[in-house]
Amino acid sequence: MRARRVTALGGAIALMVSLGACSENTGDDTGGVDTTKPRTGAIATDPKDSLGPAPEVPGAAKGGTFYILRENKISHMDPQRIYSFAGLMGSQLYARFLTTFKDDGKGNVTLVGDLAETPGTNVNNDCKVWEFKVKQGVKFEDGRPITSKEIAYGIARSFDPDLTGGPTYLQEWLVDSPQYDTKWDFKANKTSLPPGLTTPDEKTLRFEFNKPRCDLPFAVSLPATAPLPADKDTGVNLDNQPFSSGPYKFTKHTPGVEIVLERNEHWDPATDAVRHQYPDRFVWSLGADQAAQTNRVLAGTGNDAAAVATGGVPSELIAKVTGDPKLKERMIVAATPNAYRLTINTARVTDLSVRQAINHAIDRTSITKNLGGPYGAVPMTTLLPPTTLGYKQFDAYPAGDSGNPEKAKELLAGKTQNLVLLTSDVTSSQERATQIKNALEKAGLTVTIKTIPEDGYLDTVKKKDNPYDLWVDSWAADWPSGASILPVLFDGRGIKAEGNSNTSQLNNEALNAEFDRILALDPAKQADEWSKIDERLMKETAPAVPLYVEVVSLAHGEKAGGVFIGSIFGWPSFVDAYVKQ
Amino acid sequence: MVRFLLKRVMLAISVLFAVSVVSFLLFFALPADPVTGMCPKNCNAERLERVRTELGLNEPKVQQYADYMKGIFVGRDLGSAQGGECAAPCLGYSYVNSEAVTDTFARVLPVTLSIVLPAAVLWLAIGVGLGMISALRRGSLLDRISIGLTLTFASLQLYFVGAVLLLIFVYTLKILPTPRYTSLFEDPVEWARGLVLAWVTLALLFSAIYARLSRAQMLETLSEDYVRTARAKGMPKRQVYGKHALRAAITPIVTIAGLDVGTALGGTVITETTFGIQGLGRTAVEAVRQGDLPTIMATVLIAALFVVVANMVVDLLYAFIDPRVRLG
Repeated sequence: MRARRVTALGGAIALMVSLGACSENTGDDTGGVDTTKPRTGAIATDPKDSLGPAPEVPGAAKGGTFYILRENKISHMDPQRIYSFAGLMGSQLYARFLTTFKDDGKGNVTLVGDLAETPGTNVNNDCKVWEFKVKQGVKFEDGRPITSKEIAYGIARSFDPDLTGGPTYLQEWLVDSPQYDTKWDFKANKTSLPPGLTTPDEKTLRFEFNKPRCDLPFAVSLPATAPLPADKDTGVNLDNQPFSSGPYKFTKHTPGVEIVLERNEHWDPATDAVRHQYPDRFVWSLGADQAAQTNRVLAGTGNDAAAVATGGVPSELIAKVTGDPKLKERMIVAATPNAYRLTINTARVTDLSVRQAINHAIDRTSITKNLGGPYGAVPMTTLLPPTTLGYKQFDAYPAGDSGNPEKAKELLAGKTQNLVLLTSDVTSSQERATQIKNALEKAGLTVTIKTIPEDGYLDTVKKKDNPYDLWVDSWAADWPSGASILPVLFDGRGIKAEGNSNTSQLNNEALNAEFDRILALDPAKQADEWSKIDERLMKETAPAVPLYVEVVSLAHGEKAGGVFIGSIFGWPSFVDAYVKQ
Repeated sequence: MVRFLLKRVMLAISVLFAVSVVSFLLFFALPADPVTGMCPKNCNAERLERVRTELGLNEPKVQQYADYMKGIFVGRDLGSAQGGECAAPCLGYSYVNSEAVTDTFARVLPVTLSIVLPAAVLWLAIGVGLGMISALRRGSLLDRISIGLTLTFASLQLYFVGAVLLLIFVYTLKILPTPRYTSLFEDPVEWARGLVLAWVTLALLFSAIYARLSRAQMLETLSEDYVRTARAKGMPKRQVYGKHALRAAITPIVTIAGLDVGTALGGTVITETTFGIQGLGRTAVEAVRQGDLPTIMATVLIAALFVVVANMVVDLLYAFIDPRVRLG
């Protein structure tokens, strides 16, 4: 789980859809994004949910080549090193994990077993011991069966300090230390496994932790649990030629130019509840920028007719696409789980009524309008984004999207406070800061904007003793559980001098205890609790002002079918993709 | 002639050596910490130090430079974190691209060569040809059209012309495929179809400059006494223009062409970006954006190599065109 700033996404254009956001344009005035739509999220309890084959996609046909357009190289393709949206979604084609999300693209997700028969067994119901049974019939691209040994080896190699880039949850949880690679040296122990990870037999993988790790079923949905036979481990070179366990395998990779994936004949759809194998091949075509990608798929010349432009429709082409009904049909518009909030430094703004007044005064309409309206951002009033399992909409300070300065003045009751609003020197951030200042000053607050260079922004706001009262933060969780959002952002017991995710510096004993209580629950039971504590946080402490979630607008060629925006990472999903014949 | 050649080669080697030293120092002088991008997950002081040691960054600078040069000429072992053994010419390992820098360049150099060399042939043929004809037909309709066109194209920007051509030929008429690079040896027709727009765009813009330059040079030469004398003595026009005037007029054009081609080979970033083709230019820009220092260093070196080689070729052509150069 990381704070993600758009500019720090390795060139990736923000993409994604919320659970409720639709993956096909509905043609309404809001750009097709509907955050009020009912959404569901669950962890599968019936092993049948984890079995394949995945339901057929209506209208889908086998054959053809599906093209994926992208500007930049994907930072990593080696599953143990993947941590980018493109990598996470792209790896589903050639790698399988212990668990994965069954996502219908309409707001309904279920965590199911992928290589595992179920999303895991909480052996003692204390989240300290977990077991996963490997499915029968799962195979690598060379036909070798996948057993617990290869999955364990994959996890073990993620301890290798040479293999940079990937998430570190499993490693840190297993050795119970952030210094995981010094606690267990992969290179010196290649034939053994990290402490806490065992394979009692070829079918069983067992995790034993010192502390409860109730989010393990989610954490093992990340690509670090992709299997690898030890004899296929080429170290850092695996990044350019991963060994497949999924429905497609690498047949050609020209870094920065093209990746060709062709069918893996050893993949058995009966073992896979999520993926299909419709196209003969997928081709990642790299290099074209955002505008070129969109122009290409809209023109649909040759191969581009069966292509999706992952860069998003640039703002200058939005009017052209939305103004033509035929083109608009080929546009996917969706809200992402990347949630932005106006952080209030509670160590400096100590008066709750001031924080509540700020919440009443904020004008979300002007901010989202400046971001492109319904094609750029959707206002939100909760700390949890709508993608979160168990999400419930509420508005602790109902002032409408344009704010209610009068109500804010009433709360302030004549009190005045000079607030320092920090912004980076990026133009859009500066404009947003001005809009925030204008809204707050209408309520009688005095706001001074302080601008600093973009590259030092995150480091600054994460410092405990920073001299600022307000700034904009964003957060996108690695899995759709409140556990990966609220305790990370608002549990005050871990506040340190630098590098704080709890940038509000909220430290409320009652809420901290509540975080502990919920975290100790079985993950299936946590979902509703996170939504409740979200509302408590806002009403009782107002540590931030929820602002908006990003919206992505993508275009695809007329022969490209089955693409939807994944609910978890908000990037296009290709598991249902097909070429219209 | 041999002495002349040796002098030029020695000079080129000196320049490349100086560039290699400067680019190597850049590695340390730039604000980006070369280790941060190479550090494993969850970097801390201890890990940073370990990576520094593994990469040999705690060695004296002279030693590091010697190792780098050794890699270029005989190869070296970069260690497991950098892909192991790196054969000569080893330019280091890019953590951003997860591959040896040499492999990156082996991939992108043919792309840039495929864009620049055919485009250069086009722009020289069109530009010089048009300039010469304009000079010889001074004041004619052809001359005026030529001046008008060259003024128009010289004032346009590459990304604009490229975008217009894309719009017409790829997105609207759909008679050309989306620009892309295919190896000449794999499929010559696709190679040409995929790059023709880039060639034409470069040729339109560059030829405008060459047309104007050639016209001016030719007009100046035609007014020289020796040309007038040759014509007065009854020498055929073709011989006067083709043998005497053209030879004298072409000298400054060769100089500019050498520099242009050398610079373009060092990176046609706007062309590559406009057409979405990954060549040396885009690789260099992305390396700068991402703080990929080994790739930046290699780009600087290779761009310098191109400029130096292009200048050597120009010098040799000078010697061929004008015998006085050899004597000097």
